[in-house]
Amino acid sequence: MPLEGGRLGVFGDVSQAAEAVRALRSEGMEVRAATPAPFPELVAALERPISLIGLSTLTGAVAGGALGLLLAAGGSWAWPIVVGGMPIVSFPAFLVIVFEMAVLVGALTNFVGLLAICILGRKRRGVPFDPRFTRDRIGIFVPGGGIRAEQLLLQRGAEEVRDVA
Amino acid sequence: MSTVSAQLALIEERVHAAQGKGGRLYWVLLACAIGATGIGAYSWSRIIRFGMGETGLNRPVAWGVLITDFVFWVGIAHSGTLISAILFLFRARFRTAVYRVAEAMTVFAVATAGLFPIIHLGRPWFGYWILPYPNERSLWINFRSPLVWDAFAISTYLVVSSLFLLSGLVPDAAALRDATSGWRRRLYAMVSLGWRGTDEEWRHHSRAYLFFAAFATPLVISVHSVVSWDFAVSVVPGWHSTLFPPYFVAGAILSGVAMVLTLLVPLRRALGIEELVTRRHLDLLSRLVLLTSLIVTFSYGMEFVLALWRGPRVELETLLFRAFGSYAPLFWTMVFCNCAAPLLLFFPRIRNTPIALFFLGIVVNVGMWLERFNIVVTSLSHNRIPFDWGTYRPSLVELGITLGSFGWFFTWFLVFLKLLPAVSIAELKEEVGHPHEGVDATEVAHAA
Repeated sequence: MPLEGGRLGVFGDVSQAAEAVRALRSEGMEVRAATPAPFPELVAALERPISLIGLSTLTGAVAGGALGLLLAAGGSWAWPIVVGGMPIVSFPAFLVIVFEMAVLVGALTNFVGLLAICILGRKRRGVPFDPRFTRDRIGIFVPGGGIRAEQLLLQRGAEEVRDVA
Repeated sequence: MSTVSAQLALIEERVHAAQGKGGRLYWVLLACAIGATGIGAYSWSRIIRFGMGETGLNRPVAWGVLITDFVFWVGIAHSGTLISAILFLFRARFRTAVYRVAEAMTVFAVATAGLFPIIHLGRPWFGYWILPYPNERSLWINFRSPLVWDAFAISTYLVVSSLFLLSGLVPDAAALRDATSGWRRRLYAMVSLGWRGTDEEWRHHSRAYLFFAAFATPLVISVHSVVSWDFAVSVVPGWHSTLFPPYFVAGAILSGVAMVLTLLVPLRRALGIEELVTRRHLDLLSRLVLLTSLIVTFSYGMEFVLALWRGPRVELETLLFRAFGSYAPLFWTMVFCNCAAPLLLFFPRIRNTPIALFFLGIVVNVGMWLERFNIVVTSLSHNRIPFDWGTYRPSLVELGITLGSFGWFFTWFLVFLKLLPAVSIAELKEEVGHPHEGVDATEVAHAA
């Protein structure tokens, strides 16, 4: 999916970028940003909802724990040999396997979820690429933004504003 | 160019430039590490070719230096997660400049530790027998055995710590991708996974990183607890103790943080990152060494107290053998290295002298290796009845494998330093954009 057009402002200062975001949002414009780091001031100005990536992580952890229990209990039932007088299905001993599997699968789904969300997000909520945005500049993108957006970006200290077709 | 953007650019230049530094010394160290790895590989090949008779293992000591090395390297691996995950959850900002080195150390130390159970098998091609998988060959996995727990715990720790390292590297690799060319650019493009730094990416990345930290924190405690249960679940005197899990975890943190100090002191000098990894960072790390050393000292004392108070007579016999028997010199060297020497860290002057911290780190790690040797070997060599007594001496093959493990670890670590950033670029930049008390990133920029 190609990126939609709009105005892209380039900032060298975090506070100015955050100020521009607040001004643009107060006029009802959608704003996206690209930054070298997650600057708290800018993150607060964007007011994005908390990521729901935890849902996939939690699901993975629960599934992993269940898988661990199934593996340990099922494996023990498949070969029901009594060791040290302990029950065949010995939950306290299996808790270690359940915990490790929960963490393993939870961490894997966390990583896969991050990858998937970032790839999808890049298509849905992208910002025109500029190598400076991973280095020392902040990009503020206003999809569909016109002259008014350009004015606001320049007024708040943008070093340059580009018209993205 | 605004002040902030100048500082951001400077941090990246500093970290990027650090990768090109080291000169001839770097290549000499890398050659030594590869040479040591070669000695280790040759030594292992002797076990594969001629069998376990190449080691000094015999009745009654069936676990020796190889298992000592395993526990030692698992311990080294712990500081990375502690510094990275636990300090992240506690919002201890001083971790920013040092956690990448610790995380990398963790991954390479776990990868080293994982080799030892396989080496110790003697016939490594049967190593996969411990893994549960559907088969028709009557293999039976005893899920009640700590050795099986170990296989799960170490594998999980390796995967989770690698993912944790990789997820932190993604934004930094993107920054380097956009600042380099040629094969380095291709490498960074691969590691950065297409990162562009959009707010959408940061939103999910920050949350995912928090979950990694939340997973890694209990995991780090579980892994060394599981390793301690390899011993504590048995009924061997000197091993069968409920004190072992916290004692092992504290010891692991002590050895791991001491190793971080040993690596960081020369690194910051060689790579010219003294403004990024400051004396304040070293000071705070050395306080952690002091704290865990005190916990370990308490544990050493408690072993004797518990044996004297209500423990079986044989427990006390074994501990007395440890302190006054044929391995006594090793025991008292351990006490000096782990309990006495770290007390120097009470003095601020010592904590602020990098060279002193470097040598203290080595002393502590010698002590921690001896601690594992004392636990593994002395208990087995002095079991309940005199028939089960015997003295173990490691063979040259075992010592060669131990040397090789250091070579293996340092080879990976040195290659990592050359290819990937040794400090987190993104987090240092975040500090510049959001300065607060105690942060050194802006000092970095000004200093340059």
